[in-house]
Amino acid sequence: MNTSPIIEFKNISKKFGDFFANEEITFSILPNTVHSLIGENGAGKTTLMKILFGIYKQDSGHIYINGNPVSFKNPLDAIMNNIGMVHQHFELIDDFTALENIVLGDEESDYGFLNLNKSRKVLIDIIAKYNLGINLDEKVCNISISEKQKIELLKLLYRKSEILIFDEPTAVLSPIEVEEFFKIIRKFKEEGKTILLITHKLNEIKELSDSVTVLRKGKVVYEVGSDALDISVLSREIVGELETVIDLNIRGDVKSEEPYIELNNIVYKHEKASALNGVNLSVYGGQIYSICGVEGNGQSEIVDLIAGITRKSSGSIQMKYDGISLVPDDRLEKGMVKEFNTGENVLLRNNKSKYISSSKIYDTAKAVVDKYDVRLPALNAPLESLSGGNQQKVIFGREIELDNNIMVFVHPTRGVDINATAYIHKIILEQRNKGKAVLLVTSDLDEALKLSDKIGIIYKGLIGKEFTRNEFDESTDKRNRVLQNIGKAMIGVNSD
Amino acid sequence: MLESIITYSFFMQVFRMFTPYYLGASAATFSERSGVVNIAIEGFMIISAFSYAAITIATQNPYLGLIGGLIIGILFSLFFSLFTIKLKINQIVIGVGFNLLMAGLAKFLMLLFFHSSSNTPGYPHIPRLPFLKSIPMIGDLTGDSIIIFALLLVFISQTVLFKTRFGLRLRSVGENPEAAETLGIKVRLYKSGGVIICGLLASLGGIWLASNQGSFSDGMVAGRGYIAIAAMIIGKWKPMNIFFACLMFAFFESLEIALQISGSGIPSQFVQMLPYLITILVLIGFVGKTKPPAADGIPY
Repeated sequence: MNTSPIIEFKNISKKFGDFFANEEITFSILPNTVHSLIGENGAGKTTLMKILFGIYKQDSGHIYINGNPVSFKNPLDAIMNNIGMVHQHFELIDDFTALENIVLGDEESDYGFLNLNKSRKVLIDIIAKYNLGINLDEKVCNISISEKQKIELLKLLYRKSEILIFDEPTAVLSPIEVEEFFKIIRKFKEEGKTILLITHKLNEIKELSDSVTVLRKGKVVYEVGSDALDISVLSREIVGELETVIDLNIRGDVKSEEPYIELNNIVYKHEKASALNGVNLSVYGGQIYSICGVEGNGQSEIVDLIAGITRKSSGSIQMKYDGISLVPDDRLEKGMVKEFNTGENVLLRNNKSKYISSSKIYDTAKAVVDKYDVRLPALNAPLESLSGGNQQKVIFGREIELDNNIMVFVHPTRGVDINATAYIHKIILEQRNKGKAVLLVTSDLDEALKLSDKIGIIYKGLIGKEFTRNEFDESTDKRNRVLQNIGKAMIGVNSD
Repeated sequence: MLESIITYSFFMQVFRMFTPYYLGASAATFSERSGVVNIAIEGFMIISAFSYAAITIATQNPYLGLIGGLIIGILFSLFFSLFTIKLKINQIVIGVGFNLLMAGLAKFLMLLFFHSSSNTPGYPHIPRLPFLKSIPMIGDLTGDSIIIFALLLVFISQTVLFKTRFGLRLRSVGENPEAAETLGIKVRLYKSGGVIICGLLASLGGIWLASNQGSFSDGMVAGRGYIAIAAMIIGKWKPMNIFFACLMFAFFESLEIALQISGSGIPSQFVQMLPYLITILVLIGFVGKTKPPAADGIPY
């Protein structure tokens, strides 16, 4: 077996401003292996891969491919060296067909005129070989997320890439789609390709990896081969010191008599398509109700209806109390004005005072920062300069302080580091124990299982199946079967 | 009364009016398909019209005027791409700046060279095409090489944008430059390509106006560059739709002229308003939502 590395990183450093995204990173990757790169958000994984792919340029250090030093000025150089990358946010052109997206940049043409049929023939063979069935003539804006990922895979295969980089490939897939994705990765490996997997899901690492490199705060902190892989060691290395320890089982019985939120047979049509097809949903006080599902099945429409952002087509919504606290899914776009500082952002939800003095802004900011353990460069720093976790704490602080009886949290821990995630989970549970009705929308099943009293699975605009805590609690022996049924319900397969 | 207006010569007029609109609208389309908003179509038309006039007067050779006008157009589009693509200055601000600058520059140079702030002396037009100009009935149109080109441009731009490798890449940088870049496409190069084609086509529109009018006068482009942009939007950035939008504008402008000549009693100010009124009505009523290229106007 060839044991000389196919890729070597030597002392790679990259700074953004004063911040070291990568600091003296040195490790190597053997050919024909699945090598996982793990770490928290902001640990520097994506930066390193973007350097390898020629999008960023390192400040110092060298990359060697098959022992030869390389210096990629742009992605084209990387592509020429048989490197392909699937980015975390898919790089697709919505207005183009699947076929156009795949061939773009490497088009078959006769005297400058596109010859799409020639590419189509090549692709039909690839599609058959890897079982990646998609409609090549459909525009990307009309297709599902898992199909988009297939297009990204086809882009790499069409270019005959041998070194494949995947940045958080399974973040947007349902459990069964993840299984299919794993099969394809294994097939790539059988064919001799080298796979670099960026992830923060530990079970994926265990299933696929031959070797693992852990990054923390821009540095390599741990390396291990599959033979010595220990998940508990790994998770400790990823996080470093865990700051918040919570006991998720402290949950008193404070459920209210009547539901606080009640949706009856809600239908919602958007443009031509119907996004919700008769949703029934009740959330009681003292309950955490999670809506789980693959994104785009109607979750955001339900939230928008409850929050009064859009209006239903038919059905009834009843809320026991006026006013809700809402943490929306996209904090940078919806939850805050990113150019405003902490105090200003909190005061946006203040309807009491007409005049806002600078001391009021300062006091408001100070109160939230102290109470919710927000770490920020300066009290008057714009919110965009905070880390994702701290931004989210500010928004949580603002919404919780409103003290509404109904709280809606959408993807509360997306892009948030492990310590902040634990802290946010603690806050959510506290609100439930205070008797608030909590509606949680998440695509992170582990999060839902940890927190929820009840889980509703949404698929194609319908909440088809509901599961109560006694079915999926860690203490029950049915748990595995229930988990399988949840996975199936998420992609619309009937459970046994 | 209508019979006296809708005549053979009226239709000839429609196609003549169509030509600068379509050249301007295709110009804007190539730029916006690459993601650069260029509202300076008007300015490009003015400066190239003046360049044609000045060079033709100086050399008495309209071909040199044509080539000179195009070179000036390319030169200014290189400046435009320097500011908008390389230096990433706000595209609307640069566009407004170019429009104001070109109008002033043309007037200034006119005073300098021809000692008049209103118009230049006369000059020859671009010679008519042999054979084609002697076709009965439509010889006036078919003999005009730029009109012929504008009509062919409907198919040329459709083909270039949608059937060639260049067009696919040009559109990709206008829709999602990050995605294009990850596939190894040189984003700025293609954006510059779009802007230069834009300058070239808009200039040709200005040259046609100057050649047909026989003398350059202040204000002669008369907002056609802006109407061209409206035609592009109404036509949803698609060459064939833009063709019909431009025909519509040409029709109303011809109607305006015909009504004025016929002395119909309708106030001429009202008639002059028609093309603009129609633009607004069409945009709110008949076209529906128009969707520009996804990354249009965003510097990369």
